[in-house]
Amino acid sequence: MEATRTRGLHIPRGLPFVLPYLPFLIVFGIAPTIYALELAVTNVDGSWAGVDNFTRTYDDFRFIPAFKHILVYTVVWLGALMVFVVGLALLLHGRANRVSATYRFLFYIPGALAGAAAVVIWLFMLDPTVSPGAFLLRDLLGASIFAQSIAPGNLPYIFAMIAFWTGAGGWIVVMYGALNTIPPDLEEAARIDGAGPFTIAFRLKLPLIRKWIAYMLILSFALGTQLFVEPEIVQHASFGLVSDTWSTNQLAYQLAFRYADFNGAAAIAVDLLMIGLLGAVVIVTRSGLFRAED
Amino acid sequence: MKLKRRWLVPASLVAVAATTGALVAASTGGASSEKASGSITVWVDAVRLPVAKLYVKTHPKVKVNVVTYDGDGNGATTMQTKIQLWNRTGKGWPDVVFSEQANDPVWMAQPPFDFALNLKGVFPASLLKGWPAPSLAQCTVNGRLVCLQDNLAQEVLYVNKKLMGQFGYKVPTTWQQWAALGAKVAKEHPGYIIGNMGESFSHWLYLWPDRCPISQVVAPKTVRINSADVHCTRMATLLDPLIKSGVVPPESVFTPAFAQKYGGDNDKILLMPGPTWYAKDIFGGTLKVPAGEMTAALPLRWKNEAPTTGQVGGGPWIVSKHTKNVAAAIDFVKFATTSRAVKSKPGALSPGFPSYGPVATMWLKSLNKDTYFAAPPGAAMKAAAGLVWKGWSMVTYPDQPIWSTSVVTQLVAGKALSDQLPALGEGLSNNAKAAGYKVVNK
Repeated sequence: MEATRTRGLHIPRGLPFVLPYLPFLIVFGIAPTIYALELAVTNVDGSWAGVDNFTRTYDDFRFIPAFKHILVYTVVWLGALMVFVVGLALLLHGRANRVSATYRFLFYIPGALAGAAAVVIWLFMLDPTVSPGAFLLRDLLGASIFAQSIAPGNLPYIFAMIAFWTGAGGWIVVMYGALNTIPPDLEEAARIDGAGPFTIAFRLKLPLIRKWIAYMLILSFALGTQLFVEPEIVQHASFGLVSDTWSTNQLAYQLAFRYADFNGAAAIAVDLLMIGLLGAVVIVTRSGLFRAED
Repeated sequence: MKLKRRWLVPASLVAVAATTGALVAASTGGASSEKASGSITVWVDAVRLPVAKLYVKTHPKVKVNVVTYDGDGNGATTMQTKIQLWNRTGKGWPDVVFSEQANDPVWMAQPPFDFALNLKGVFPASLLKGWPAPSLAQCTVNGRLVCLQDNLAQEVLYVNKKLMGQFGYKVPTTWQQWAALGAKVAKEHPGYIIGNMGESFSHWLYLWPDRCPISQVVAPKTVRINSADVHCTRMATLLDPLIKSGVVPPESVFTPAFAQKYGGDNDKILLMPGPTWYAKDIFGGTLKVPAGEMTAALPLRWKNEAPTTGQVGGGPWIVSKHTKNVAAAIDFVKFATTSRAVKSKPGALSPGFPSYGPVATMWLKSLNKDTYFAAPPGAAMKAAAGLVWKGWSMVTYPDQPIWSTSVVTQLVAGKALSDQLPALGEGLSNNAKAAGYKVVNK
């Protein structure tokens, strides 16, 4: 009885906070999604098409390669995010405040660049003739010209690196904030019980920020499968050495705007939506993100 | 990394020069028509903007709304997007469009876009005679003339006269002589190059001139793609050792690395097959080859077969079938393509080789006087204009990305061109089918 009453009070209290965003969510989020769902199951003349658009785009020769690219990219990127973001945040949290603030700032800087601008910087970084890291490109990738740096096999890793470099700083700050919510007496109690810094980091802190990690993974997973800007810009800058349908989102874009196939493009968009939702459901149920306090 | 528009684009090479200067210089003459009046909307790229402005200035009776856009260069799909939008809303179409993408008129002429007006019978027939036959053929889709090329981009052989003289080499006239010279250069003067294979359009420079049928529209919506044809394989076999020995590197002239290695400071370009728009802009501008060295020779031919050549672009003008003011729209295209005010000499108003013959003659006369060249390049360019092989059709899908991803990436990795032809054929066939073509592989 008590619980339901407090619950009922929360909604009107929260409403003013979400209200400014609500119209935008409806106009730019929900309405286009419904429109995409409608386009995906209809023909160009508006008649019912069933799953035709889905099977047609699945049979497209670019569909499977694009999903393979995205799969490798997302796995590499999410793996890097998990390990390095959490690892760095834990390391920083153990440092003295001033040191940790400096590092947090340094990690965050690349994230201040807008997505496209960050990619343009990487165009220079990946060109052995001008890159400050030219020796790395030569020794690790065996690349003496830009075209060799962006060889097809390197691409998922390069895009993952760009995305990590621009996005990780923000998440490190978020994770650091999460670590700060852990009551200091918990840590102290663990120390008195004889736990070393590793045990504290992995057995105490890590489980307590699990929900934040899940949150990061859900957002990043959706973002990763919808990769567009990086391959698109590198494709233009390399005069076509990267396919213009490298990622699934690019394929949808090409279908819509080169081949005037909005219905096919919508079908791919719905595929991506489903994958994003599925990923979210798995992560939510596995991590207990929305579970009330145990 | 230089982020220039680089797909086909003759003219985007040239910076948009001071418009006012150009206006003053060119305000004499101009094919002004009495009939044209009313208002039109014209979409142009930055390079064509001075021409549009000059038209506005010299034609006060016509109210011109000039809109600049990216010109669809560099693989952009701006026009596809816009035309779909206009078709959906049923209004807003511009009257005249310029595109940097030579294949744009092909999809513009067909459903679902259905945008281009048939210029046959609308554009003065007496003027049409001034366009070379291959140019008109390229603009003809299903029997309808759907565009007019603003400039031609026929391929010639660029020659570094100074270096050739210094090394005591004779300018080759056939691909065989060229390849033999390449083998010699690799031995006697390693580091020097006789061409390059790293462009998104290199297949237009090396496979098109040998009549390789990988983009041949044989019937409406039917394209012949046979990369196993002898006209493709023999050229690839000829090129393989040259790419391997480094005299035809798989690099692009538009990369900083290329300018550094082969450009003016090192001056390592001996020969280079390239389109007319390379001329002073690429060699003098991008690559900084000093004045008094380069000139153009006739395109190479295969042994003693009849000479044919390739083409790289040649941006077209398209008139909308939705236009309410055909007279003014045609008058504008007439002015932009045939008037002396625009086309008589190389410069900001006319950076590329004019497609309309009578003004091209004047333009070449002026180009020949340019002291940048070691010898007048005009005669070779003029001869090449009529030699473009007509069996390479423009299609609705872009073929350069396929060439780049399936072939250039492999050449960069050290593989042989001959081995990539099957993948090229497959990539092109897949894209053609996805674009709704029936594909013939024989």
